[in-house]
Amino acid sequence: MTLEIESMVRYASPINPAIFPHLTMLLLGIGIFFTAWFFVYEVTSTKASRDLFKELLLSLVAALFSGFGILFLLLWVGIYV
Amino acid sequence: MLPAMAKVQFCFIFLIYVLIKCESAAVDTISNEIKIKNVDRTIDISSQLVKISSKITVENNGKSPVKQFLLAVEGAAKNNVAFIGAKDSNNKDLRITETSVKGYDNVKFWRVDLKEGVNAGSTAVISCESVFTKAILPYPTAITQAEDQLVKYNGNLHFFSPYTVASQKTNVVLNTKSVESFTKVKPFLQQDGTIVYGPFTNTAPFTEKELSIHYKNNSPFLTVSRIERLIEVSHWGNIAVEEVVEIDHTGAQLKGPFSRYDYQQDQHSGPASVRNYKTLLPASASDVYYRDTNGNISTSNMKIKKDSVELDLRPRYPLFGGWRSHYTLGYNVPSYEYLFHQDNEYLLKMRVIDHIFDDMQVDEVVTKIILPEGTTNIKLILPYPVTRLPDSLHYTYLDTKGRPVISFTKKNVVENHIQDFQLRYTFPRLLMLQEPLLVVGFLYMLFLCVIIYVRLDFSIHKSEHAHKD
Repeated sequence: MTLEIESMVRYASPINPAIFPHLTMLLLGIGIFFTAWFFVYEVTSTKASRDLFKELLLSLVAALFSGFGILFLLLWVGIYV
Repeated sequence: MLPAMAKVQFCFIFLIYVLIKCESAAVDTISNEIKIKNVDRTIDISSQLVKISSKITVENNGKSPVKQFLLAVEGAAKNNVAFIGAKDSNNKDLRITETSVKGYDNVKFWRVDLKEGVNAGSTAVISCESVFTKAILPYPTAITQAEDQLVKYNGNLHFFSPYTVASQKTNVVLNTKSVESFTKVKPFLQQDGTIVYGPFTNTAPFTEKELSIHYKNNSPFLTVSRIERLIEVSHWGNIAVEEVVEIDHTGAQLKGPFSRYDYQQDQHSGPASVRNYKTLLPASASDVYYRDTNGNISTSNMKIKKDSVELDLRPRYPLFGGWRSHYTLGYNVPSYEYLFHQDNEYLLKMRVIDHIFDDMQVDEVVTKIILPEGTTNIKLILPYPVTRLPDSLHYTYLDTKGRPVISFTKKNVVENHIQDFQLRYTFPRLLMLQEPLLVVGFLYMLFLCVIIYVRLDFSIHKSEHAHKD
């Protein structure tokens, strides 16, 4: 079964390219904040005060925000992945 | 296997083979019921291309309605045909297919399928357009910087047809008054810029009579020897187009030295050279770049018009006969202009080749389409036959198994080939998340390494207060 072009709609990006810069700033900002928190925690905590769950959670949040932030940074500068 | 069995099988295969052979070799016959009542032919040789448009009045002298008729191109010109098309009186395109006729191996034939057949005794008007490349040759073949370019066109004085032509008239458009010599077959009439031949009456089928015109033609003789058009589709809302162009001046060769001083001094110096040309891009084109191996070519201008973006490209040096240039032109267009979808089914509708300059002739075009990773069910629909190249993979940022690349090539292309192809494919939308998740995964791995690292002890001597720490 092939669809006719008349029944199809034009495809636009799921995220409006106009907000790529804002998204980059916001996501990368949060990402860097959590990354910093994670590293500060890593170097200041001692063997006794270290909490593995907290470390994993902090790094996960940092990775998620930084990852999406980097993606939108690429899209913003014109690297359409 | 039993010998008898094998024999039967062989016979069967042979029969199928014969059937297929009959099917594929489209052989037509010349119907003697068709007669051409009148042909009005215009041969435009004012540019580097030969553009022939003919208005043909077909008459059916037979008893039964005629559904199709044949167009022919003489053996001398058959390798120069770039495009041939036919339209009916309502300006609708007619289906045209290449064919052959027994006994005329040296002639190229096309079969035109008429939408409404011509009834016995009645007539139909068909307009036919054909474009020939490399049919106008510089004569002399080498000129100096200051000289005008003289060219020679050799064609057929009569409309070449497998049918008897009752009456015909030929109009040759030169756009110049300086004609060195031309075939003088009465009746003819030379008016400013045009030569009219005819009317000639009752020409026999396959009549060939030399038509030779030697005249001044300073229009750009530019040939694109190769263009590679790369279309990269991103589902983040962008389609990137990049064209790598190799361009040759195929007019009369430059004889003697080139003086930049004379060239700058006088705008009319080097009349046969090409200083600049215009390329038209789609109206939605943005982020245009024009560069070569040295970097950006700054001598270009961009004008945004209502229905297109006009680029005024000036190569690094003027192009004289025999000189060549090479550059890359790229731009972005938003996906909503060319990409359509319904759920996970996508359709890309773009041009096989785009405008490079007016009256362009392209020796070879290679079009490559890069689709997002994870695309399946790719189906390509083309407006005219091309050679499909093997599919390959392309690796760029954040790729794992590579993006599928669809490529095809066509030789001898002119402006009439600026038509849309359609590419259908299936792409699960969730796969768009693969790219950010790859980055996320990579970063998380880094953090995990840090977490493991801080738990390792690399000190040489044992800590004195290990239990206290």
